[in-house]
This record gives sequence, structure tokens and C-alpha cells, in this order.
Amino acid sequence: MDQTLFILGVNHRTAAVAVRERLAYADGDVAPALARLKQRSASISEAAILSTCNRVEVIGVTTDPARALAESAEFIAADREVPLESFADSLYRLEGRDAARHLFRVGASLDSMVLGEPQILGQVKVAYASAAEAGTVGLVLHRAFHKGFSVAKRVRKATLIGHGAVSVSSAAVALAGQIFDSLADKTVMLMGSGKMAELTARQLRAIGIESLIITSRTFDHAVALARAMAGTAVPFDNYKPYLKIADVVIGSVAVTRPVIALDEFEAIIKERRYKPIFLVDLGVPRNFDARMNSLENVYLYDIDDLAQVVHKTRGEREREAAKAEEIVELELEAFWRWMNGLDLVPTIKDIRYSIDRLRDLELGRHRGWLAGLGPAERERVEVLTRGFTNKLLHRILQGLRVSGVNTPEGAYAAEVARRLLCGDLSGASAGLEALDAAGVSSEEDEDEFES
Amino acid sequence: METLWLAPALVCYALSAAIFIAGRLAGFSRAPGWATVLLGAGVVFHAFDLATRGLQAGNIPVANFAQALSFLGWLTALAGLVLIVRLQMAAIGAYTATAVALALGASTIMMKGGRIVLPATLQSVWLPIHVTLAILGYSMFVLAASVSLVYLAYESRLKAKRPLGPASERMPSLEKLDRINYSLLGWGFSLLSLAIVTGAIWADATWGHFWSWEPVESWSLAIWILYAGLLESRLTVGWRGRRAAALTIVVFVVLLGSFVGVALIYPGKHAGSFG
Repeated sequence: MDQTLFILGVNHRTAAVAVRERLAYADGDVAPALARLKQRSASISEAAILSTCNRVEVIGVTTDPARALAESAEFIAADREVPLESFADSLYRLEGRDAARHLFRVGASLDSMVLGEPQILGQVKVAYASAAEAGTVGLVLHRAFHKGFSVAKRVRKATLIGHGAVSVSSAAVALAGQIFDSLADKTVMLMGSGKMAELTARQLRAIGIESLIITSRTFDHAVALARAMAGTAVPFDNYKPYLKIADVVIGSVAVTRPVIALDEFEAIIKERRYKPIFLVDLGVPRNFDARMNSLENVYLYDIDDLAQVVHKTRGEREREAAKAEEIVELELEAFWRWMNGLDLVPTIKDIRYSIDRLRDLELGRHRGWLAGLGPAERERVEVLTRGFTNKLLHRILQGLRVSGVNTPEGAYAAEVARRLLCGDLSGASAGLEALDAAGVSSEEDEDEFES
Repeated sequence: METLWLAPALVCYALSAAIFIAGRLAGFSRAPGWATVLLGAGVVFHAFDLATRGLQAGNIPVANFAQALSFLGWLTALAGLVLIVRLQMAAIGAYTATAVALALGASTIMMKGGRIVLPATLQSVWLPIHVTLAILGYSMFVLAASVSLVYLAYESRLKAKRPLGPASERMPSLEKLDRINYSLLGWGFSLLSLAIVTGAIWADATWGHFWSWEPVESWSLAIWILYAGLLESRLTVGWRGRRAAALTIVVFVVLLGSFVGVALIYPGKHAGSFG
């Protein structure tokens, strides 16, 4: 029977974190686990394990999907020492095309908790690397994963799925970027000790703001934080003069009414000579008077405003996801053609080209001698060499047909033939790299794959 | 006079404007690229048109209002292209390309047939210098107004807590728009100053007096004073951002009114009737 892909797993949609955390593997444990899986489960010919905080999946190749899925489930239960009954309802079982689609969608971050988040692709690459290390990757998984990487890359390039801010702090940072051009010469003032405020300040730091002023009701806290973040602490009863120089002010002080009166702030704005100021109000109750937003060149966003920006981004990412799904379907089609061994044509073309080239090279080497021959004799040499190369090609095609036209084995044989006949002999190295060079991943643009 | 190049230039400008606007409304990220290419093609066709007319006139083709308007459109498109490509300011495209298309469209309608000959008194090296400086200065003001319109639209969205989504992440920041507006005003003002000075020198050489209080001269002076005030307010009281953008547009409307109105209503050297 034909080899096919299967996936068994749980993710953030099907299982609570309490279940996922018991099934998850640490990075270093994946390769040994794969070795155990391979030993235990006779029906699985290739396997990888993808384990992140949001999902645990066994991705494998088998000729008997029903058995492989059952064996994978039993393996996970035994290996993680979790009774199968406790998570059997959370498992999803996919095979064939559905499994390939799932793998591509996961890599393209279409199945992530935060749609379009970028970490997942790296995690899929790690899963592939661990499987390669364990020696459980064969031709099909190799091809499936690399196709998955190139799908993810194409989705990132062709859609805006990874754009926009998906958290309150990143929304504040993105807004700072829409107001200010260069951030290097700007100053952030952090008021209060809210965790989200601190995170926002750190993110602003990360994108280039250098100067940081910290003030807090408890001066010791401000000093400690200033030390940790290489900022300047100022006492809370003397922070107002610093509003004249700050460009971004993050408020998260516990207050019952705004920290500064509207008219007092207006005077400061005049003293600033209307230099734009971005007020990020993360306090509840709010730190700044909402009317400040209507002052000239003052931009005030409170926590609800930022949440709304995040909400909008999510909506936009969902719209982009529709485009991404189309890309996945297209690529899935190509991958599935390959799985069915229908894509022999390019290989055969390459082999023909390579053999014809060898013939031309040989004829070229004997150019001098050939020139001395009469036209009839030259014609004979031509016919003779062509006859020989055609016979050789015919034999190769027949051999490929014998190993099966519509099977991965056939495709594999074709790749080997291509590798033998078309490969660059100077850099010959064993293993998957050689298959790569022979063009297994020829339709993919260079992957940044590192393992 | 007809040239082969005018129609394709006009078509390119109009298409460019349409694509800039449509791309903005539909949020289609490739639109600005195509529109910019069309704007560039328009500039090339338009350059051929101007060169043909210039060769025929033996000087730069600014013999009447229609030709001056065409020249203004070309310089604006050229300077706009520099802004769009070098400073990634595709955001101004919708306004700039529309202004250019309208200028050339109006110029085409008003363009009189037949050969236009400059009177000998105006055939001077001062003509290209004075006129190019003035029109280049005006083109800076057109661009400053475009940038200011973008600023106002963008700023009001930020104030209304409706910031642009991920589709417009390459949008220039408010600070950048404000800075570019300021430098365009600076350039425009300097060029206008030079145009006034060279005009005075030329007038003195030709008619023996620097200044004749002709409508265009008076209005130019008024506009020069307005722009001087605009620049000064930024330096002294710090009027920048929204207020600077709004004032840039107000002053530009005055400029536009005087440029069109004076040239059409009052005959005079500047309007091409050389009285």
C-alpha cells in the first residue's frame, strides 16, 4: 500500500493547558522519544514530534494510517506516563492530504493561538531538526517539512498576516512609530509600577528609544527599576518638569483622579512649544484627563483605545488569513501531486538533458578527429551515439516504471536516478544534503533552514 | 500648437492619480508602485512636449499662462517623484498626481493654437532663470500642501483613535511629514525670494525700474510675506504639526487664487499679454 502522512495531536483548541503541559516534551527530549517511537511502532516509517506550549503533535509517515494513529496515541500515553483515557477526547487524527494541510497551516501560523505569530515556524524547524537528529526523517517528511517552510515563507511575503500589533504594549509601540520618525532622540517617561507599563517601556527601548525617566510613588521602586533598565529615577513629587522633555509618557500610577490637571498640562504643552507628546494611559482609574487628547499635538491613548487597536489588528489578520489559506491550498496541490508520483516529468527531462550533454561533451572532445571525416561518416557517428543515449534513457525510464509510477517509492527512485545522473559530482556528500542538491526542493526558494 | 507628447503625458498623469486614489481607498499595497511608474512615464512624455515647444520658441516654453501652468505641472511631478521615491512618500501621490493632472488638463484646454512668439524684450537669459525659480518655488508649495493634506488626514485618524492598520505600515510618521513640510516650505520660500530678486534685476535692465506694482508682483510679495510668517511662526512660537499643516494649506489656497485669478483677470507682462 502507498505511504501516506498522518498527524496525531492536541492543540490549544482541543485541550486545556493542564492537558498540554503533561504531554509536552522539552526540546532535548524529542530526539530520544522519536527513537523509542520508531522502536515501538512497526507501522511508522518516518516520524517527527512538534511540541510547543500550544500543541503536541506526532507527524509521521505510514502505509497503515489507522494502525499508525493508534500506535502513536498509545506511545504518547506510555512515554509521557499519562493515561490515554484522560486525553483521548482531545486528540485529533489526520491522514493523507488533511495531515499535509494541517502541517502547512501550522507552519504558516494559521493554526496559532495568536494568528500570524512568528515563533511557530522556528518551532516547526526545531521539530524537523530533532527528527533529522534522531534519524527518523525520510524522503516524505523531508519533502513535507521543506514544503511547509516554503509555504510559511510565501504566506509571510504575500499577506499581512504577521503585521500589526496584537498586544496592548505592542500597539502602544506601533503608535509611537506612527507619531515619531526617529526614536533615538526621544525620551520615555514611565510613571508608576504597572507590569504592562514596564513591558511597554522595555519594548520602546528595544526599538531605539534611549533616554528613559522613571518615576513612582515609591521612590525605591523607581530607583531599582531605573538601575535595571539603565534609566533615570525622579521623585514622584517632582516629575512634572520632566513632562517638558518627555516624548512618550506611560502612566500606570494607582490614582483616584488624573495625575495632572488639564490647565496645568496645557501650560506645559505651550512650554514644550507644541512638540508632539504621546500619552499612554495604562492606569485604571485613568492617569490622564481624556480631554488632553484634544490639545494640539497631544495624542492620548488609554487602555481601552489600545485594546481596540489590538482588536482591529486581529480582525485584519483574520482577513489576511483567508488569502493565506488559498496559498496553502495551492501549495498543497503541488505537494500532493508529488506524493502521488505524478511529478516525474521534470526529473525525466533533467536526466535526458544530462545524458545529451554528456554525449555532446564527448563529441566535442573528438572534434578534431570528426572534422577529418566525410559527411556520410560523420552522420554515422551521430546516429551511433544518439542511438546509444536513447537506449540508455529508455532503460532508465523502464526501471523507474518498474519501481512504480504513482507511489512515493517511484518518486524516490526518480530522485536517486536524478542524483546519480544529474548531480554535481564535485561536491558529492551523502544524505539529505545530496538529495537537496539533486533538486528535491528545487521548487522552493532557498529556505533559511538551519539544523 | 499641438505636440504628440501631450496626450500620453496627460493620460499617464490621470491614470497615476486614479490608481493612487483607488489604491488608498481599497488598501491595495501594490497600487502606489504602479501609480509611481505612471507618474514617471507622464514626466518623460511631458518633458518631450516641453522640449518640443522650447526648441520652437528658442527659450523655455512659458510664453503664456497655459504654458506656465504646464511647466508648473511638470516641475511638481518631477519634484513629487523625488519625494515619493527617495523619501518613501507615496502617501502624497494621491494629492500630487491629481494636482499635476489637473494643471496639465487645464493647460491643455487653454492652450492656444498657432505659434507663440515672445516679444524681443523678453527674449533674455533672465527669462529661464526668473521663471524657473518662480515656478519651481510654486511647485514646492504644491508639494508642501500635498504633504499637509496627508498630515491632516493622518493626524485626525490618530486623534480619533482610528490609527491606520497593518496595510499602511509603511506610512510616514507624523514627525516625518511635518519635517518634510517644513523643508519644502523652506525651499519654496528661498526659490520665491530668488525669483523676486532676479525678476527685479531683469525689470531694471529692461524697463529701468525694479518694481512696477503689477498685480503679479504685488501678489507675489503678499505670498512671500505669508510664507515668511508661516516659517517664522514655527521658529518662534513653535507652531508645528496640525496648525502648521492647516496654515500651509490656507496659504496655498491664497497662492492658487492669485496664480490663477491674477493671470486670467489682469493682463500684464506676467499673464503673457506683454502690455
